[in-house]
Amino acid sequence: MSDSEKPYLHFPKWANKVPVIVATVGGLLTVYVIVLLGYGANARTLNVGYAPVQPVPFSHELHAGLLGINCEYCHTDVKRAGYAALPPTQTCMNCHAEIAPKSKKLAWIHKSYATGLPVPWIKVNDEPDYVYFNHAAHVNAGISCLTCHGHINEMTRVYQAKPLNMAWCLACHRDPAPHLRPRNEVTNLQWTPNNKARLAHDLNLTVATLPKNLGQYLMKRYKIPSTKLLTDCETCHR
Amino acid sequence: MVNRVLIIGSLILAALIPLAVIALRRNEHSPTPRFHIMLGMDKMAYRKPQRPSKFFADGRAMRPHIAGTLARQDFIYNNEAQMRLTPNNWKLDHVVLNTRHKYERVLLGQVLGGGQGRFITHIPIPVTKALVHRGQQQFDIFCMPCHGANGRGNGLVNQWVHKLRQAGSPDAGTWVRPTDLTSPAVTFLPDGGIYSIIVNGVAGMPAYKDQIAVVDRWAIVAYVRALGLSGKAVSAARLPVKVRASLAAGKKH
Ligand code: HEC
Ligand code: HEC
Ligand code: HEC
Ligand code: HEC
Ligand code: HEC
Repeated sequence: MSDSEKPYLHFPKWANKVPVIVATVGGLLTVYVIVLLGYGANARTLNVGYAPVQPVPFSHELHAGLLGINCEYCHTDVKRAGYAALPPTQTCMNCHAEIAPKSKKLAWIHKSYATGLPVPWIKVNDEPDYVYFNHAAHVNAGISCLTCHGHINEMTRVYQAKPLNMAWCLACHRDPAPHLRPRNEVTNLQWTPNNKARLAHDLNLTVATLPKNLGQYLMKRYKIPSTKLLTDCETCHR
Repeated sequence: MVNRVLIIGSLILAALIPLAVIALRRNEHSPTPRFHIMLGMDKMAYRKPQRPSKFFADGRAMRPHIAGTLARQDFIYNNEAQMRLTPNNWKLDHVVLNTRHKYERVLLGQVLGGGQGRFITHIPIPVTKALVHRGQQQFDIFCMPCHGANGRGNGLVNQWVHKLRQAGSPDAGTWVRPTDLTSPAVTFLPDGGIYSIIVNGVAGMPAYKDQIAVVDRWAIVAYVRALGLSGKAVSAARLPVKVRASLAAGKKH
């Protein structure tokens, strides 16, 4: 028996590659997991697109889109209160006492009207209870429903259109100017800043005196508070 | 060698599956609620508007309005207008405590102390340009769907139901075409009469007192008046020469 034949542990030749393989596979796996988590567990993926099946198949596309009913007809308090209430059954009966009075889809509305019990609508956009949000403050500052709820007037079933997480709120609170529009156009989801005549009318100006930078102009006109105040923890967690 | 390619290839494919699932999830609408990684303090026991509550027997956190009472903030909301509404600028508490009955009559557009069906003839608050603008805005929210932007009674809802009726659909129900607001049926009413219709409804039209605040009702009355006048407008060319001349001279008519 020569020395070389003694039963020592010999690393086989391929063992030289192990560190390289471990490093590559491990590296790739880490990148993969990071990508997977970043893509899969972010607020955009988790929160957006929630569309519960409601007790009444109410369609905003029909009512707010085709019939052109203003959001405020039903969400009456949105400019006055923090909470944008869902309409009471009476609001539906304004029309449905006469239109489609026998429709099965309206069964819950009739039941609610007869008994006084509320329709069990399921909340779509839902902030955690430790967050303070206020509709009137935003809507009266010239921020449209469109910015936060998407094209509601094209939805047959309402879905959550924006992530509504803290990063999303802050992105706007750091720089609200590009999102502002005249106050009386907030419920007009088809609004465009390019219609100068209408813009002038809304702002009580003439086309010639329209400001060059609408966002900055409205920041001053609506007295939007400083970024410091808007990004203070106490503003949203009070 | 071929084996190795196969294995690595299928590994890569397998690795793509979760990504594809996520991509799909990002672009579809799902009826399953948001996934809370940690519930933490997301759901707390305090009462929120329009939310259920285990405390009350009917399961509602928001308490229904008690008949015959006025919620405090209702009064504060409309307080300014209501003060001005009352002819002598009564003090707020005085209105509530002593003249509740009269005060309600004013709200209903009826003459103070007048008999049933007698209405205030003129809008009891100053009619300014701002009020008429406000009226237009509120009109477009609450009246336009049925009465139409020009008040002629052919709003989008009426057009829709008209189509249903033509197609013989039972969904057209008992709908009748809304009144033309520029017709004598409305222009002959006193201001309080129009106000009263907003508050109490009439024929097929429901009452809007729960949806429209007091000032806004009067603002709408002012705007409906403007619509009525616009309905009567004629081209200046068709006016008698004398009238045209005096108009040109800036006299009032
Ligand atoms: C005819 C009445 C009506 C009109 C007009 C209307 N809505 Fe709604 N809205 C409802 C009802 C009823 C619900 C609750 C059922 C649902 O979620 O579909 C609702 C729900 C919503 C929700 C989801 C609330 C939640 O639970 O998070 C949003 C957001 C919303 N509406 C925005 C709008 C906007 C923006 C407009 C104007 C373009 C509008 N609505 C016009 C009746 C109306
Ligand atoms: C301004 C009038 C108006 C109001 C207010 C209104 N609707 Fe409608 N709704 C209509 C019209 C018009 C239709 C179309 C009927 C049809 O085409 O058969 C309709 C259709 C519907 C339908 C479909 C009926 C069917 O059988 O196809 C549902 C469900 C419905 N509405 C629910 C509601 C609810 C819930 C509310 C209250 C939040 C409401 N609507 C308020 C005018 C109204
Ligand atoms: C700055 C963003 C923002 C704007 C602008 C906005 N909303 Fe919302 N909305 C939210 C958020 C956030 C919630 C969820 C609030 C909660 O759960 O406390 C919500 C909830 C709602 C709800 C459910 C009831 C409630 O208050 O929780 C309705 C109805 C609604 N919005 C309608 C509207 C309408 C109509 C407009 C336009 C006039 C509008 N919103 C404008 C962010 C916004
Ligand atoms: C598109 C822009 C925008 C988005 C998105 C937005 N905000 Fe704001 N927010 C504003 C502006 C502008 C103001 C200042 C309003 C004012 O006081 O005039 C404001 C003010 C506030 C205030 C102070 C209100 C008061 O009563 O003083 C709170 C609280 C608030 N936002 C919470 C939130 C929360 C929570 C979210 C996310 C769910 C959010 N905001 C999303 C623009 C936005
Ligand atoms: C513009 C409003 C706003 C401001 C300002 C704000 N937050 Fe938040 N915060 C939110 C919202 C909305 C959420 C809910 C996030 C969600 O639903 O995922 C939240 C969630 C949180 C959470 C819980 C996170 C979790 O996932 O459990 C913490 C902790 C927090 N905020 C801390 C802070 C601190 C510290 C500050 C000040 C530096 C601050 N926030 C300022 C809106 C705000």
